[in-house]
Amino acid sequence: MGKTEKAIEVCLFAGKLMIKYGAETYRVEDTMQRMGEAAGMKNVHTFVTTTGIFFSCQTEQEEDLMQMIRVDQRFQDLNKVTEVNQVSREFVWGDVSLVDAKKRLIEISEAPMNYPIWFIYLASGVAGAAFSYLMGGSVVDMGPAFIGGLITILSLVFLQRYIQGKFFSEFLAAFLGGVTALLLVHIGIGTNIDQVIIGSMIPLVPGIPITNSVRDLMSGDLVAGVSRGAEAAITSLSIAAGVALALSLFLT
Amino acid sequence: MWLEIILCFIATASFAVIFNVPARLVWIGGCIGIASWYSYSFLPILGVIPVFAAASAAFIAAFLSHLLARFLHVPVTTFAIPGVIPLVPGGRAYSTMLAFVEEDYLNGLERGIETILQAGAIAAGMVFALSIFSIRRGVAQRYETNRS
Repeated sequence: MGKTEKAIEVCLFAGKLMIKYGAETYRVEDTMQRMGEAAGMKNVHTFVTTTGIFFSCQTEQEEDLMQMIRVDQRFQDLNKVTEVNQVSREFVWGDVSLVDAKKRLIEISEAPMNYPIWFIYLASGVAGAAFSYLMGGSVVDMGPAFIGGLITILSLVFLQRYIQGKFFSEFLAAFLGGVTALLLVHIGIGTNIDQVIIGSMIPLVPGIPITNSVRDLMSGDLVAGVSRGAEAAITSLSIAAGVALALSLFLT
Repeated sequence: MWLEIILCFIATASFAVIFNVPARLVWIGGCIGIASWYSYSFLPILGVIPVFAAASAAFIAAFLSHLLARFLHVPVTTFAIPGVIPLVPGGRAYSTMLAFVEEDYLNGLERGIETILQAGAIAAGMVFALSIFSIRRGVAQRYETNRS
């Protein structure tokens, strides 16, 4: 494999990692372009969507090369995006060679999350409790909102192992969280059902798709922006449907 | 007052943890969350309508995120996502859905439009901050004026 092919491989790998862990489209395109030019390619073109990356360039012998890579899964892990960004920055400045950059990218992709999963569960519960206070201002409802948020994120992580459809597991998690909140208020823990349910649903908010969709649409990446916007909209609708099902089962 | 500030910090910082923001940057996200939440809840006291308050708060959050991201050499998403989260119209979306479940469609539509307007206002605030930071790097304009 020639030098340019190896460089293309590293560029595509960096791009795949960034899009997989929730970077904006323009940042991925910009990173790949800069890395390609730093590796000595000419006429570099990149096209990034939410589910796949295309990359084409010209070698020093004026030979045209084109590759694409498919992105199947998307997670939310901004730490990895920051690290890949750092590697690409150092590569473009010339502080890191191509081989070392590839090694570090493989390390990043194989590393675990920088927080243990129980800490993320805890953070979801705490976020639910704090938001239920911010929305309504009663300290009594923070306890049930904590439990509701915890149940929601636990069931989401559990269900995502067994269900292929992302939106259906979000729907079921919202339903289970809503049922928990309703039961807790019914047996007398907590007073205001609205606040408890809002707090319980907070860990499911699709923050990365919403923010990135706005960003992508504004920087002219229309395909990626629309697809992320659709992802955010369907996630919000499935959360709403899950809560609606819980409410209509228990309130009537 | 102090309880609200502390809880707002905790809420935004735990959101930063949910999105796996690097540990050394979590507290900055929390501070941006306080700024955006306070401008969102303080501006209506001065007589500003809530939609505009949401837009201003989102602008402040995104502006601070862009500034700090440029200063610390990290992707702007690391700060912008937790900073904007306190503005998400969760309460309004919930009351929309509650009204539809109770078959009160008129009220539901009213609340739904409020929700969509607030979401649009947040997007508008973010876009405004973005365009300040991308002056001279414009995309997709309408006329090619750079040709002589």
